[in-house]
Amino acid sequence: MTGSSDAPAYAELAVASNFSFLRGASHPKSLILSAILRGHSGMGLADRNTVAGVVRAWTALNTLREEGLSPPEKLRDGGSPGETVFVEDPMNDPALSELVMARAQAFRLATGARLAFNDGTPDIVAYPENRAGWGRLTRLLTLGNRRAVKGQCEIGLADLLADPEDLLLIVMPERRLEGLEPLLSRMDQAVPGSVWVSAAMLRQGDDRRRLARLKSIAAAADVPLLAVNDVLYHDPSERDLQDVLTCIREGVTIEAAGRRLLANAERYLKPPLEMARLFTDAPEALDQTQVLLDRVGFDLKDLTYNYPQEPTPPGWSSQAWLEDLTWQHARMRYPDDVPARVEVLLHKELAFIQTQNFAPYFLTIHDIVRVANAKGILCQGRGSAANSAVCYVLGITCVDPAENDLLFERFLSDHRGEPPDIDVDFEHERREEIIQHIYERYGRHRAGIAATVIRYRPKSAIREVGKVLGLTEDVTARLAASQWGSWGSDIGDRHVEQAGLDPANPMIGRAVAMATRLLGFPRHLSQHVGGFILTQDRLDELVPIGNAAMPDRTFIEWDKDDIDDLRLMKVDVLALGMLTCIRKALDLMRDHEDAPYELHTVPTEQSDVYDMLCRGDSIGVFQVESRAQINMLPRLKPRTFYDLVIQVAIVRPGPIQGDMVHPYLRRRAGLEQPDYSKPGPGFNQNELREVLHKTLGVPLFQEQAMKVAMVAAEFSSKEANGLRKAMGTFRGDGTLWKYEGRMVNRMVERGYAPEFAQRCFDQIKGFGSYGFPESHAASFGKLVYISSFIKCRYPAAFACALLNAQPMGFYAPAQIVRDAQEHGVEIRPIDVNLSDWDNRLEGRPGSLALRLGFRQIDGFREAWARALMVARNPSFAGVEALARRASLPGAAMRKLADADAFRSIGLDRREALWAVRRLPDDAPLPLFAAADARELGEEEDAHLPQMRLGEHVAADYQTTRLSLKAHPMAILRPVFAGEGMLTCSELETKRSGTKVRTAGVVLVRQRPGKGNAIFITLEDETGVTNLVLWARMFEEYRRVVMAARLMGVEGVVEKSPEGVVHLMAHRVFDRSDELDRLSDGHRPEITLSRADEILRPQPSRHPTHAHPRNARILPGSRDFH
Amino acid sequence: MLVEKVRGALRLAALNPAACALGLTRGMTLADAQAQTPALRVVVHQPDADAALLRQVLEDFGRFTPMAALDGETGLILDVTGCTHLFGDEAGLVRAVERRAGRIGLAVRTALAGTPQSARALARFGRSGKVYRPGQDRDAVRVLPISALELGEKDQQALTRAGLRTLGDLEDRPTAALAARFGSDLPVRLGRILGRDDVRITPLRPRAPCVVDRILFEPITETTDVEAVIGDLLVEAGVWLEQRSLGGRAFEVAFFRLDGATRRITVRTGRATRDASGVMRLFRERLAALSSPLDPGFGFDQLRLSVPVTQTLMAAQPGFEAPSTASRDLDGLIDRLTARLGPEAVSRFEPVESHLPERAARLVWAGRRESGTPWPARDPESPPLRPFQMFDPPQPIETVSLAPDGPPARFRWRRVTHDVARAEGPERIGGEWWRRPNHRTRDYYRVEDRDGRRFWLFRAGFYGDDPEPRWYIHGLFA
Repeated sequence: MTGSSDAPAYAELAVASNFSFLRGASHPKSLILSAILRGHSGMGLADRNTVAGVVRAWTALNTLREEGLSPPEKLRDGGSPGETVFVEDPMNDPALSELVMARAQAFRLATGARLAFNDGTPDIVAYPENRAGWGRLTRLLTLGNRRAVKGQCEIGLADLLADPEDLLLIVMPERRLEGLEPLLSRMDQAVPGSVWVSAAMLRQGDDRRRLARLKSIAAAADVPLLAVNDVLYHDPSERDLQDVLTCIREGVTIEAAGRRLLANAERYLKPPLEMARLFTDAPEALDQTQVLLDRVGFDLKDLTYNYPQEPTPPGWSSQAWLEDLTWQHARMRYPDDVPARVEVLLHKELAFIQTQNFAPYFLTIHDIVRVANAKGILCQGRGSAANSAVCYVLGITCVDPAENDLLFERFLSDHRGEPPDIDVDFEHERREEIIQHIYERYGRHRAGIAATVIRYRPKSAIREVGKVLGLTEDVTARLAASQWGSWGSDIGDRHVEQAGLDPANPMIGRAVAMATRLLGFPRHLSQHVGGFILTQDRLDELVPIGNAAMPDRTFIEWDKDDIDDLRLMKVDVLALGMLTCIRKALDLMRDHEDAPYELHTVPTEQSDVYDMLCRGDSIGVFQVESRAQINMLPRLKPRTFYDLVIQVAIVRPGPIQGDMVHPYLRRRAGLEQPDYSKPGPGFNQNELREVLHKTLGVPLFQEQAMKVAMVAAEFSSKEANGLRKAMGTFRGDGTLWKYEGRMVNRMVERGYAPEFAQRCFDQIKGFGSYGFPESHAASFGKLVYISSFIKCRYPAAFACALLNAQPMGFYAPAQIVRDAQEHGVEIRPIDVNLSDWDNRLEGRPGSLALRLGFRQIDGFREAWARALMVARNPSFAGVEALARRASLPGAAMRKLADADAFRSIGLDRREALWAVRRLPDDAPLPLFAAADARELGEEEDAHLPQMRLGEHVAADYQTTRLSLKAHPMAILRPVFAGEGMLTCSELETKRSGTKVRTAGVVLVRQRPGKGNAIFITLEDETGVTNLVLWARMFEEYRRVVMAARLMGVEGVVEKSPEGVVHLMAHRVFDRSDELDRLSDGHRPEITLSRADEILRPQPSRHPTHAHPRNARILPGSRDFH
Repeated sequence: MLVEKVRGALRLAALNPAACALGLTRGMTLADAQAQTPALRVVVHQPDADAALLRQVLEDFGRFTPMAALDGETGLILDVTGCTHLFGDEAGLVRAVERRAGRIGLAVRTALAGTPQSARALARFGRSGKVYRPGQDRDAVRVLPISALELGEKDQQALTRAGLRTLGDLEDRPTAALAARFGSDLPVRLGRILGRDDVRITPLRPRAPCVVDRILFEPITETTDVEAVIGDLLVEAGVWLEQRSLGGRAFEVAFFRLDGATRRITVRTGRATRDASGVMRLFRERLAALSSPLDPGFGFDQLRLSVPVTQTLMAAQPGFEAPSTASRDLDGLIDRLTARLGPEAVSRFEPVESHLPERAARLVWAGRRESGTPWPARDPESPPLRPFQMFDPPQPIETVSLAPDGPPARFRWRRVTHDVARAEGPERIGGEWWRRPNHRTRDYYRVEDRDGRRFWLFRAGFYGDDPEPRWYIHGLFA
């Protein structure tokens, strides 16, 4: 395996990694390591019409050069903390690591692409000879990508030959050799001396005969012959996986694939000796691999990067301009006087920015933010560089350094020698304007969105593998469904058993094994949500650009890790619903309450705002509105801005999994002293105090966990960097566990308690999946405060803005409306004469009422609403007049009637529907409108029965998902009262330990963290009840939990010292049928809140898919098992 | 539970009572259903098979009345006027129907009422198994829910919202008002279900697409006469088929004898045809080869030609320069051989998608339609890589050869030693891991011995493997 010294020098120059999507069957990393171990002198990575994988290979090689083989790998996880078992990896021979390191130094990596043409030309592998060649290659690929639909690349030979300088080209002959000689001659004329023709000995029966023919063709064309093995995987054992990939690509089952599969397993990285033996007839072909490699003078590190210069006016240097801007804005921000502390900080930061040459980056961000401000789009920055005084004065963030010195250490202190990191959130409804502005300002040739590599996850892997191996859809669906969420990194036997299938069944076993190997394979590239890369020079000479699925979008082939590795600048332009809501609320406050505020002028640290939060009254407030957050508020009792920062960060899987929450709460409540774990003697006893004093000795933020690794486990900055990256990509390739042994062992060696060390690491693991750095928490904390402020002082404006910004946040309109009512806001129903499209405020400051708008009606179109609003003067007196004047089609009129919006005309829902139904179906053409303006004839009274309240409520829920008339539970109360069931408010008054029965409509189901418990929130006319159901009972009650809209419960009341009440469920019942009592045949549609985990991450594409009859119940729900 | 793919998702298409009791409904996605109840037995919905079964049941129910028709995808309507006395009375007939259905293994809902639409509504939405006497059915129908109208979801919801629950509620309202709101279709449906309109059913009698009859006033007995009549019928059918651009794949002649006995003879063709003389030739072959010859008795008084299987056949213009008749000639030969020897006796090779030589082809009935799988393309400039004749199974041989992947220098087969003069290879073919995980990789060699005979040999496994690799001969080149 390690190759021998007398082997001839050989490098494989036709290697496809798994970035040749559904063709290559090995990760770039595996290919590099295998080539080194087998004694190759180099490698050429050339994926099919893409360079998406080359950075991975390049990074892997650099890591091997610097660190050798990976540290001891933890091969088995015991399942719960403390049970971890470490097994030495037999591969981890230090001598071998040295050897690999030495070989890696001399190993040469050529990075290029394999061009597959659309005009019948055989594939050509192209490697850049120098930086200019790289630019030509990426431009060629850009050309091909931009011509084609997403994911395709259309290039012809003419495109290549139009500008073939600085490229080394290897022609890959096809099975038939006709036409090869003229092609070679033509190419050799175009680029003399830079063309090779490849030969491969793939054991196809006629290899030697073919080699002889190729040799004579090459000689005739005067083009050297180059030995390759046309590699698709690093080891022959990957053949079956490659077969499966082929089947996925071709959409066939393995049984039917036949000759579309390769006949044998020869396409691997063969040792040089074996290659020499195969090429005994043409040894010179082997030598040519070295000749070609010698000519490759390009390395990815040559991609020096130029920041765009736009934001800097002519005559200024970026740094001088930034400094000038900063001081100018500082005077605007602090009209009285710049506080001395801030001034010092600004000087320090500007000096630091100068040494790092970050000025263009800050200017670019400032430029984008400035444009957003000019367009009236709210935005806020976050990220390590965002918490700088410079960013505050430039208006990029609203977190004032004068008031929050705790936050402003990081930007200066733990810089990692990487580009600064600022993400900017924009109003979600208007982010596209910013994106288009960036394209306009920098041009598509200089701005591109980063890619996101879509990888196989357990669900997608098992689905596709199952299909290929001929498992029926219901079996694969069950296997896929046995995953909770889709982020798991392995498919275990346990999951198979959970799905009710036998892991020992060979078919299932094979499918699961194959799917496990497929995990993490790139499937295709997609665009990143908003990571922009901007350049001064042509972007397409840096990296290929391709079309995205969305019109007007283009994205580059590299993802954020690649961009990091190459140290390119990235600007994240993200969308945040709460900003939309805040902007709408600020507008309403300005127009109706005479309260003109901006993000940074909202009065800070108001005690009534904190009082409200301490009560847990936070529905609709940014970030702290989830059930878990609401329960935490009375315990944490936030009184200052930094408390909110902690509140945002603490109720997250990281701290929860690391068991950090309760110690923090106890210390905060003064029940215990902060205890800073100490290392053994001889080390700085205060090392952890310095890192953790802000959070009372408990690592809550991602940075702190990192700092702990560096201080307590003495991670080098390189190791820490690797750890940070592993945390970020935990979902991706799961390299995090490599650091577990290292960190825990080193901490224990330095005298820390093993449990503490393990806890620290578990927390890092948690961060990996849901990381929350302090800088983000601070920016979010600001929005928490601002939204709380609005909710507290201007509840009507808040509710109105929240409804108009839907869909967003955790709660459905019904809960938002109800919460507003509880805060004394009058809610008025939708009415054809009074409502607008948007919800709006009516009345005077101090007694504002919220008038629901037409947007609350399911399926009602904005255009109809606009037409209605235009035609409304004078008020409508009848349905016919309305339909005629607003030219509304029958469907619109029926929706209005369904929504009971004709009350001001004097018709209730039933009467209105009866009247509306009679109208013609379509809006009359304008020309005939006048002619048709006759009244419909009088007709006999139909004597329809009176509509009962229950029916009204049911219909309200069906059309607007909320009812102002009554809560469904209020109507059903006699039924439940008869059964002795308590209301939610009655339940609150019971003592801890009381056995009770209650019922309510299901609002939210959540299964946080490790899923030991399921949290369900029920609602009735008096309030909400929080239910806890232990996971072990879930299987028994699974159907009820998954299907019930109205749930009955028996359980025991549990009260915390802070007064938080839970009901520990013993039994749950599906009482959804009771909803039928409201009205014959049609149930109200109770909308689960958006926080419902069963509903959320993969919302059904057809949320309003009509269920049979009108039993329209909940929209499609998210799998949660 | 049956599922089908609708709009990209597997949805429930039909459920048994147990599944309904779990609260599952039609149209739900399978994923949602399994989230609630993981242990569901799921079978893919086959509407075609269901329809075929229903047609079969319809045929069978011809025993109750000749006036039987399909009713939607899941129902049958029998017009039992004048048939009930055979089963005692009406209730007896209903019981007989239910018994018969039970024997076939079907659960049924039945109702017997004055008009087809009333019966349908009562069977589906009323009490099953009941016989409604004239006059009774109207009252029974009036209390049915409005869903019995089987309107669209929206109309039904609108009626419910209007507070109208039963068909009676509707009947009591002015028809004009209903028609103005729900279309004129609603009063029509209502009228039919209430028995105000009686729409007769159209019974279904299975019929061949093309049937031509010849009634002979003078019964015939001579073979030549019979053949002449068949020939005429074929020409007539040919015209009929040509007008519709159809061709027949099967032709059946029914010989009705004077004494009431009927004999049917069918010939099939490999491709669609309406060529009377060609089919006539097949009939002649067939008649000559019958194991029990056609016995005319006192003569046939009627011959009926039907074409039960047809498919589209466009009139084709033969190529102007080189009319290719080879394939048609071959088809003709296959048809004739098949007619004479029976379909099992004539077979041809068909390619199969596989690298393994012994799996790369299989024998099929010669008249079977082409599978569409092409034979692997061959490089015309290269010698054939596959032998003319293959052994099944490959035969073991003893060899002297060079490791790791050299061809044999000498081999012994059927007690004869061959010295290899020339060899090419290896062609390496891996096993089909998904069929037989331990299948050994083979290296194939084309070798020529000193006498110029060419063989196809392979080694299964590699040197150094345990067990040792073995050599086989798999075929002979021409």
